[in-house]
Amino acid sequence: MTETLQSLALGFSVALQPSMLWYAFLGCVVGTLVGVLPGIGPLAGISILLPITYGLDATKAIIMLAGIYYGSQYGGSTTSILLRIPGEASSVMTCIDGNAMAKKGRAGAALCIAAVGSFIAGTFGVLMLTAVAPPLALFALGFGPPEYTALLVLGLVFLAYMSTSSLVRTLLMAAFGLLLGTIGIDVMTGHFRYSFNIAELGDGIGIVPVAVGLFGIGEILATPSRQVTGEVIRPKLSELWPNRAEWRASGWPIARGSVLGFLIGIIPGSAHIISSFMSYALEKRVSKHPEEFGHGAVAGVAGPESANNAASTGAFVPMLALGIPTGPVTAVLMAALLIHGVPPGPTLVNDHPAVFWGFVASMYVGNLMLLALNLPLVGLFVNLLRIPYAYLYPLIIMFCVIGVYEVNHSIVDVWIMLIMGGIGYLLKKFSFDPAPLVLGVVIAPIFEMSLRQALIMSDGTWMIFIQRPVAAVLLAVSVALLVVSAVTYLARRRDWRAKLAAEAGEET
Amino acid sequence: MKTDHVAGAAFLALGVVVFAISGDLPFGTLSAPSAGMMPKVVTALMMLFAALIVLTAGASAPLASLDWSDRGHAAAVLLITAVAVALYQTLGFVVTMAALVFALLVIVERRSALIAAAYSIGLTVLAYWLFGTALKSPLERGIFWF
Repeated sequence: MTETLQSLALGFSVALQPSMLWYAFLGCVVGTLVGVLPGIGPLAGISILLPITYGLDATKAIIMLAGIYYGSQYGGSTTSILLRIPGEASSVMTCIDGNAMAKKGRAGAALCIAAVGSFIAGTFGVLMLTAVAPPLALFALGFGPPEYTALLVLGLVFLAYMSTSSLVRTLLMAAFGLLLGTIGIDVMTGHFRYSFNIAELGDGIGIVPVAVGLFGIGEILATPSRQVTGEVIRPKLSELWPNRAEWRASGWPIARGSVLGFLIGIIPGSAHIISSFMSYALEKRVSKHPEEFGHGAVAGVAGPESANNAASTGAFVPMLALGIPTGPVTAVLMAALLIHGVPPGPTLVNDHPAVFWGFVASMYVGNLMLLALNLPLVGLFVNLLRIPYAYLYPLIIMFCVIGVYEVNHSIVDVWIMLIMGGIGYLLKKFSFDPAPLVLGVVIAPIFEMSLRQALIMSDGTWMIFIQRPVAAVLLAVSVALLVVSAVTYLARRRDWRAKLAAEAGEET
Repeated sequence: MKTDHVAGAAFLALGVVVFAISGDLPFGTLSAPSAGMMPKVVTALMMLFAALIVLTAGASAPLASLDWSDRGHAAAVLLITAVAVALYQTLGFVVTMAALVFALLVIVERRSALIAAAYSIGLTVLAYWLFGTALKSPLERGIFWF
């Protein structure tokens, strides 16, 4: 404990330097804007600014980029509450009750509860990250290829289990993503795979063009400007403070959302999105007045908003401690660290303590900045939201092109982004969730490497995954989740997640 | 015909194509897996899940019920952006992106050409300055050297 506090003190000595504070502030501001503006998520925001960090040192780069990630979770609620459009995918659930509160004249209170909930959950997440990541990194030093393979399998199965679409559809998307992730030179044998004599494909398909294409361009293609109403509710600054009943109603949902979000966040998958869905369902289930949900329930704002912030912080645990990306955003953040010669993983805490602890400490500071930033500047964000969508989406396309091209200065990447945009549009039409596809692309190289190494280690016997206790437990959990899903499906009981997704779809 | 029939069949077809072009990739053995193992295993899994989707397609929505009212918007945006991408390295950031934003506003959104021109030029020049000067990450220069 003393050692952790000493390390944290070192972190604060780094994070409180004026230059670090400036980059944390910049990340928080950009993240809030990214969250506020519909159609441009944290991934696109981080991708666009990634090339700018090449000239910075690793600590400044990761502090700024992480600020964009957790800042976007704060900003996303503003658009959901005032415009009934999720500014960011994880804010979908906030649209329902947040906008209903706004229509009742409680927009300010909804924004304040979302911001305070985000702050408490974000801070709780950082506290847990401080406590969990270093011992986990120590434990993970004993991990070998079988354990990594089993952990990634669990991540995929968990994502499928929690997904709003069916298990089979999610696994199909994950398999498609894994297939795309195998494009390029096989690092173990030197074979070119599906590169069609295009030199750039030899390095494989990047995460940035795939994710920006699916989530950025795909969303724009499916959203003609005539479908975006742009009716923004403008709250008064004097109405920002919730009343006593609203504070009381938000206390436990914030606490539950924080714990739930963090736990989901540490498991690979699109944690921040799933966590808000789960938190909403949980709050509805434990509420004494479930009929209020959909009509302005405070818990329907407080829970999901807390959960998505805690999850975005929780996602840093496997990234920093195990070197495993939990989703596309953490994959890009990992890439940013690698570019600066700092490999994330079990050795990060000991080899680069200033980077690790400086980053952790900056998140305490960043959460405070975001709380101070979001409420007083709500008027500015409302004005941003009043820009007609017809003028906004060409700007987003331009930034998508910049973001993708600038990563490698490769026009092939931009073409991949466009193709993935078209695929994203079709997937949306046929009700496929693209998140597992992106996760498949992200984990494919690590998954393939660890699986092949495990098989080589065991001389070709699968028993290695059962003989190693950690791998066996992880795989047993995966099998249990699959069995539960199959039983549920066979019993033909409609899944509550599908019901929630349908409700959310109807409400939005 | 249901939506899942089409979706599942598309992924099955993709799997067949992938297997067809994977002939030169060696699978290896379990004790020495080679470059073809992972792609072939995940393609087989993808086809298995696609087949399951086709088999359970009865519960999905009818194909005719899909709303394609946004297809014109999607096609126009995709086409205009594709032209811009094709010209990006030749003409550079300012010219290509100004033309892209202008075309989207005038052709797709039917906005006033004058306002669209002012908006697109202002926006791209600002972005060019922001990235090149303020953020020290210069954007692509074309034959016009800007």
